[in-house]
Amino acid sequence: MEQHTAVAEHGAQVKVTFTTTEEDIQLPEGKRQLLVPADIRRYGLSRILNSESMLDTASIPFDFLVNGSFLHTSLEDYLKANGLSIESSITLQYVRSLIPPVYEASFEHDDWVSAVDVLSATSAAGRWSGDSFQRGQDRILSASYDGLLRIWSASGHVIATSPSGSHGGHTASIRAAKFLSSTQIASAGMDRTVRVWKYSEHSSAGGDHVSGDLKPTLELYGHAGSIDSLEVDGQSKRMLTASADGAVGFWTTSKTTAPEPDATLLPGAHTSKRRKVSSSVTTAQRGPLAMMNIHSAPASAAVFDPRDRTVAYSVSQDHTVRTIDLTTNVVVSTLTTSHPLLSLCALARSSSSAPLLAAGTSARHVTLVDPRSSATTTSVMTLRGHTNKVVGLAPSPDNEYSLVSASHDGTCRVWDLRSVRPATKDEGLGSVSEPVYVIDRESRQGSKKKATAAGDGCKVFSVAWDKLGIFSAGEDKKIQINRGKDVAV
Amino acid sequence: MGFKSVDKKRKTQVPESESDDELAGGFFDGVLSQSEDDSDFVADDDDDDDNDDQDDSASEGSQDDEDDEEDDDDALLSDDIPSDLDGEEALGKLLITDDEPEIEVPGVDPKRQDVGDEEKNYRIEKDANGGERYVYDEIEPGYDTDDTDAQGPANTIGDIPLDFYDSYPHIGYDINGKKIMRPASGDALQNLLDSIEVPKGWTGLTDINTGNPLNLTDEELELVRRVQMGLIPNELHDPYPDTVEYFTSIEEKMPLSSAPEPKRRFLPSKNEAKQVMKLVRAIREGRIMPYKPPEEREREAEEEDEVHFDLWQNEEPQDANPMHIPAPKLPPPGYDMSYNPPEEYLPTKEEREEWEKLDPEEREKEYLPQKYGALRKVPAWSEMVKERFERCMDLYLAPRIRKNRLNIDPNSLLPKLPSPSELKPFPTVCQTIFRGHEGRVRSVSIDPSGTALATGGDDGTVRVWELLTGRQVWSVKLSSDEAVNTVRWRPSKDSFILAAAAGEDIFLMVPSHATVTPSLDQVSRDILAAGFGYATHGQQQPVAVGKEPAAKWARPGTKLEDEGVLIRITVRSTVKVIHWHRRGDHFATVSPSGQRSSVAIHTLSKHMTQIPFRKLSGLAQTAAFHPLRPLFFVATQRTIRCYDLQKLELVKVVQPGAKWISSFDIHPSGDNLIVSSYDKRLLWHDLDLSNRPYKTMRFHSEAIRMVRFHRGGLPLFADASDDGTLQIFHGKVPNDQLENPTIVPVKMLKGHKVVNKLGVLDIDWHPREPWCVSAGADGTAQLWM
Repeated sequence: MEQHTAVAEHGAQVKVTFTTTEEDIQLPEGKRQLLVPADIRRYGLSRILNSESMLDTASIPFDFLVNGSFLHTSLEDYLKANGLSIESSITLQYVRSLIPPVYEASFEHDDWVSAVDVLSATSAAGRWSGDSFQRGQDRILSASYDGLLRIWSASGHVIATSPSGSHGGHTASIRAAKFLSSTQIASAGMDRTVRVWKYSEHSSAGGDHVSGDLKPTLELYGHAGSIDSLEVDGQSKRMLTASADGAVGFWTTSKTTAPEPDATLLPGAHTSKRRKVSSSVTTAQRGPLAMMNIHSAPASAAVFDPRDRTVAYSVSQDHTVRTIDLTTNVVVSTLTTSHPLLSLCALARSSSSAPLLAAGTSARHVTLVDPRSSATTTSVMTLRGHTNKVVGLAPSPDNEYSLVSASHDGTCRVWDLRSVRPATKDEGLGSVSEPVYVIDRESRQGSKKKATAAGDGCKVFSVAWDKLGIFSAGEDKKIQINRGKDVAV
Repeated sequence: MGFKSVDKKRKTQVPESESDDELAGGFFDGVLSQSEDDSDFVADDDDDDDNDDQDDSASEGSQDDEDDEEDDDDALLSDDIPSDLDGEEALGKLLITDDEPEIEVPGVDPKRQDVGDEEKNYRIEKDANGGERYVYDEIEPGYDTDDTDAQGPANTIGDIPLDFYDSYPHIGYDINGKKIMRPASGDALQNLLDSIEVPKGWTGLTDINTGNPLNLTDEELELVRRVQMGLIPNELHDPYPDTVEYFTSIEEKMPLSSAPEPKRRFLPSKNEAKQVMKLVRAIREGRIMPYKPPEEREREAEEEDEVHFDLWQNEEPQDANPMHIPAPKLPPPGYDMSYNPPEEYLPTKEEREEWEKLDPEEREKEYLPQKYGALRKVPAWSEMVKERFERCMDLYLAPRIRKNRLNIDPNSLLPKLPSPSELKPFPTVCQTIFRGHEGRVRSVSIDPSGTALATGGDDGTVRVWELLTGRQVWSVKLSSDEAVNTVRWRPSKDSFILAAAAGEDIFLMVPSHATVTPSLDQVSRDILAAGFGYATHGQQQPVAVGKEPAAKWARPGTKLEDEGVLIRITVRSTVKVIHWHRRGDHFATVSPSGQRSSVAIHTLSKHMTQIPFRKLSGLAQTAAFHPLRPLFFVATQRTIRCYDLQKLELVKVVQPGAKWISSFDIHPSGDNLIVSSYDKRLLWHDLDLSNRPYKTMRFHSEAIRMVRFHRGGLPLFADASDDGTLQIFHGKVPNDQLENPTIVPVKMLKGHKVVNKLGVLDIDWHPREPWCVSAGADGTAQLWM
């Protein structure tokens, strides 16, 4: 009897076919089909794949895509939920797992943190700086609403702080800041200026304690409104800004090549009774290479094309995504969506020359658009799950199908574009993806009050994703670092 | 016939048996006494012989009669006769002995002695020659022998005339050759005598055969007479015999076999069965109908033709007569009516006495609860008849009224409205909370570019916020004791001017927001400062010499000026409402407590204040410029008046019917007006249609404080109520004048807390997006999107 039941228990087996799109972990042809117990879960399947007879790899965590969605339950439950028979064969696409990000640290600030950027060997700035980047010199840049830039070491020490407004710094809140290289930083803010800083480090007391210095090298005037986004390209030393006045600015970081600024925009251009902000430090004032007033509503973000640095994309609250040719500074195409767009990131695609654009909307989702498609087509895919405006986006450093978004609802969400489902009637056309992981604000964990949709006091303003982890900055005056536990480098 | 023929045959046999019967005794005697004395026997026979002859001839007829009579018996006997053979043998013997004397009679009878061996039918005698001569017995002529005509000694002369023998004494010869002697004929006298005394049967004729007078016997006479009479000669013949009944009712001693053939002898005929089955089949199939008289058949056919309908076959139980009013039901019995009530229901002795003392009319209950050990011990209810009677009287005497109810599906009364999901976009959730004000936030306003939000509150401050993030970017304290009642941006993108009212002062300011470019800042300052030059250099209020000016325009002081507050206008009473003209040069203020000067119109470029109305018919509540035409609307508590600013005349009076108007707003297209009132109502007016509201909506449980249309082209409006909610409506005004506007409530936004019975105090729409901001009494402003 016992034997019989045991047989019956083990008898429920499902025929699965393993496939993958990743070249390095392909299975040999003969091993792709397998009979596995029906009650096996992701972990079990992952172990089977890692075993000696299969891939013979050191434990790579795998996730399994079934019919476009990740397998979260046991195979048996999945079959039941989808009304499939146990005899049916399942095709499992195995992919490297996205490691659930674990909270690591928070860096305290004095005021809301509006932007965060990372300098590491793998980050864009680290690559741009080339040899000058020293190994282990991982730095984190934060911009705050108090008008100060801070540079943090990976261990959470403030290495450098930018001077205040009266000493050549920003006179108002900074909204965006980026590393240009290991020695150069750009920042922009509500004082309508883009500032380029020279960052230098000198280790004192036997190299244990590192201190840095931020010196403004350039003040760039050109915008008539708060600058909400800044994008830099360290190689070509170009910058893109998007401002609330609806303009997209194209700048250079070079003092010599930058044109003279418009005098009317400079502070103190008008002798009025307005409170004078006198600066003890004088820095070079320059203007933009191009100032493109292309949006009818505040422009919220502008990015370079990841492959072609002469193409830029900008989004605005006027619902449009515009493709700009930076050589002629002309809008090439305009895509109109149905919601105000608040953030943008470009996902490079190996399969095509044009990137996929992810745009965060005020309507609580991320919409993915193909910039090449005609103006009539709607978004390729919609990422739904946020409960508030999506104001920050960052692509994964590892692959081209995952990204992280930051929202005013106090969460960052990690998305995998491979997991899709068709949209329901309410959601309109296209396909929809749901978040893989949700990163809550650690500062919220202890409080009794549950975060509401309004994200009162815990809004996330910016997010950066590096191999070091996911860095998010928010209204709780903190940079929060989350990291996957066993990220295989 | 068969029977008759059988009878005839039998009849012929009858004489034998008859003679058998008669002679039986003699025969047996003879047999028994044969050996004793034959001669005696012969002698006897001799005597009998003559008699027999005569008897034979004479009794011929009577014997026939007897035969006839015994026919029936013979017929019966014939069946039972033992055997003919025995009888004949016996007869043979008998006849031999019988006939012997007859042969001997005429002649010599010596042979009589020789009759010794009687076994032989012959005798051996000696003839004349002495030789033996066999003398055979005379053959007794049987009935069958044809000698019925032989009469006595028959004359054997043959057929010759008798007169041949006239000369002879004899007249002929008998069979034995002996002369038959002529009878003696009488003499004449004898004849005479004979003729006188005619003997019986006298004919006067002579028998030629015998020569004797021929006398007729009685029978012959009778025969003659019957012939003469024309009767049937045989008198014995009965022409009318009694009917012989074959099946007689007379019970016979011996049952005759006249019974019908027994059924056991019946052989069913297959052919007949076939025929019958054919008929049966035809009857079954209805080809053969039983006969009926034609009339009856016709009647039946008529009856068949008549179709009968079942009137009640589809009948369903019907409701009672519409006028029927069912009797009201009696209340169900309680515990005290139980035969075994709980103890507490049982009356105490005092209660019982008290109850019994009371007059039956005054008793509260008509019975006392009683306890019985078992249901079978409960006696009959003595009051039954009385109770029934009273109930009937009640029903009969008490009038009943039918309540008419309308059976209308409530859903059908609802207007057909599009589903809210089809009317997207509209604000649905709170996305940003603006915290900072102490005390209520009284007023909110979004700047024309849609990036900055201004709020004013009970703490006397005006704050400017970044709209999306909720970051406060600017703040100024206008008054330490007065609340900021209202803040309104100047509706122009080329400037950044905010108007705020605190108490009796109206402040105009340029928030020194970092995002404001120096040029924009300068333009705004210039706009505000322009009037100072006008005031100093121009001819300001020449009329104002003797009068107190309607308002005083001044600089608010360096402390406020450093913050960006540039102008203070002081009017006579607390300003509650500011409304900018669309061009931004004029704005109207309303101070409800201001009596005559409650409504004022300020001109920015001239720093001038005018009071357009000398007298108002009520307390002014709010005022607004028409979005397109030079019209000015002023709302008092009950009515809204529309004035033409150019002609300075009253154009229209709108009467919403509300008791106390709190706010109104004019649709951007200019022809529709929405009015909110403190009596919880929202009233939509079509200005072209009527002075009366086109639609009244009452969805809030508390007073409505504010109502605003979206100004950026979306068909939305929202109201703010003291119940802490906002309601978003889809209010589409069609381009076609003939169509009615579509008004659909789409969303109720809950989020503000109610503090001191105050909920949401003000709302404003984003200039482009379907976002709205509300000011709450809980100290927050909220952005809904």
